[in-house]
Amino acid sequence: MKYDDWYDMSTHSGQESGLPRLRQWITEARWFTQETWIGVGLVIPATVMMLVIIVYPTIRALWVSLHSRSFLNLEQVEWIGLANYEQLFADPTFTIAMTQTVLLTVGAVVSMYLLGLGLALLLKENLPGLGVLRSLSMISWVIPPVVIVIIWSWMLEVNYGLVNLIFGIFGGPNKSWFGSRQWALPLVTMLRVWKDTPFVAIALMASMQSIPKEYYEAAEIDGASRIQKFRHITLPNITYISMIMIVIETIAAFNSFQMIFIATGGGPVNSTEVLGTYVYQQAFMEYALGYASAIGAIMLLLLTVFTIIYVKIEDTD
Amino acid sequence: MATQNTNRQSGRRTVSDRFDSWIGEDTSIREAIGIYGALSLYFIWFLVPVGWLALSTVKAGEIIQATELIIIPSLENITLANYEVVLSDARFRQLFVNSIIISFSTTALTLVVGILGAYSLSRFSYPGRKSLLIAFLATKMLPPVLIIIPFFIMMWSLNLVNSYIGIILSHCVRALPLALWLLKGFFDDIPEALDEAARIDGCSHLSVLYHVIVPLAKPGIAVAAFYTFVTSWNDFLFVSVLSQNISTRTLPFGLYLFQSSNSINWGATLTAALLTAIPSIIFFALVQKYIVKGLASGGMHGH
Repeated sequence: MKYDDWYDMSTHSGQESGLPRLRQWITEARWFTQETWIGVGLVIPATVMMLVIIVYPTIRALWVSLHSRSFLNLEQVEWIGLANYEQLFADPTFTIAMTQTVLLTVGAVVSMYLLGLGLALLLKENLPGLGVLRSLSMISWVIPPVVIVIIWSWMLEVNYGLVNLIFGIFGGPNKSWFGSRQWALPLVTMLRVWKDTPFVAIALMASMQSIPKEYYEAAEIDGASRIQKFRHITLPNITYISMIMIVIETIAAFNSFQMIFIATGGGPVNSTEVLGTYVYQQAFMEYALGYASAIGAIMLLLLTVFTIIYVKIEDTD
Repeated sequence: MATQNTNRQSGRRTVSDRFDSWIGEDTSIREAIGIYGALSLYFIWFLVPVGWLALSTVKAGEIIQATELIIIPSLENITLANYEVVLSDARFRQLFVNSIIISFSTTALTLVVGILGAYSLSRFSYPGRKSLLIAFLATKMLPPVLIIIPFFIMMWSLNLVNSYIGIILSHCVRALPLALWLLKGFFDDIPEALDEAARIDGCSHLSVLYHVIVPLAKPGIAVAAFYTFVTSWNDFLFVSVLSQNISTRTLPFGLYLFQSSNSINWGATLTAALLTAIPSIIFFALVQKYIVKGLASGGMHGH
């Protein structure tokens, strides 16, 4: 663009040859590289920050995972090769945490996608009052996770939580739900779904609203039913945003830590232990930095493999 | 629709007829009822817990832990005592101030770095530009619990544990990738002819950015600011590791300690929780109309 301006100006100034033309070329080239350098320069602060604060620590963590290192004495580092990884595969708690992480991730992502899709279809309708509901729905997404846990602990509190009070009326059970080995994992999964469903729904809705109205009108002329329209127009047009949402939410659910740590701390008896809480516990309670990093490295590996495969599959479709 | 026409012709408009025109032509009344019904199920699930929290904070101590269902307490049992307790607590005020300092600094830093970066990604072409954006987004994949270990070691050797700086930097890099992506999406929507015109008038890149791009991308910047603010305000993990005492602790972590250490005082805990959520909710209310647009345009540009 700028380049063309220069070119125009040089032709305007008439016939030039030899030295002046060469000089012009040099100025032009210098200008062009200068522009590029400004562009590069502007993105440098962000890049350097990411490199120093995220990329370098990650590489360092992979390095730490090959050592025995304790928080109690950070100076003392001992190279132990792959011993942490060997120990990992023999650790029953790791197996439990892994299984539960997968259960939580699959359960949470599938439920929030389906519920989000349903909510998006409802909210995209053109009915009075839906604008307000669209904004209200996002509240659970905005609330700090700590507060979400407090809200639900309060709802489910034994004896005087709202859920138990309502159950009491109908003669249902009254118990500490988060303290139940059977219910704890489904409940922490539900917390994630409660928090992120509106986000998925609003993103899907935004994508649905950008589908041209003519598609639907044409389908109506052909006598398509609501379900046919959904199947053949809506779904194919939201695959891209669906892919993004599924990837984002899978990564977030797989990295779950906060709400579970606060709600149950991984208990009762490991029944909500996931990889995130296990890394934290190993690193900051057992002070086994090397071992914790090894678990984290496995998480990173699995997430990378998942994302690459998923994006590839979606791309070829 | 046929009945509607006959009613119109006869000049009498029934209630259901009026409702018909109110909800638009595409939807029949039965469908509308179905939609409202399904939505109410969703919103019972979303809103009842939040409403119950808010309601509980104004209940007097004796009835907050009633073992029978009291939905609306009688007037003499409504009290602001919980708010007095929480707001007069010096620790709560300290946590609040820390949260404000950390989240505002994080937002300012992320926006400056993000706006410069997004301008570069949106307006310049150089090798590796596309991969760079993907690389930024890919860092969201790194498990935070993994990063925090070496990050803690790094902050420890720089003597930055228990300082605002360490926490702000960690929050900033958590928010930056998506903030950059959002900002770039909004910048891409601004016609390049506008900044070219300013460039021809002799503006430098920075002044184009300041006088042309930033004013036009205000909604996008608001969304990015909101996202960054919430990321920082809501964070628990980084604060829990990097802050050693009340001088740098933020509300969410303080709330966790409060909730887990005390023999639970539900009235105060719930009130503190509600007060912790309010800044995020207010910020959301201010920018919510741009968020849908932001998500839509972000999604579009991904193609």
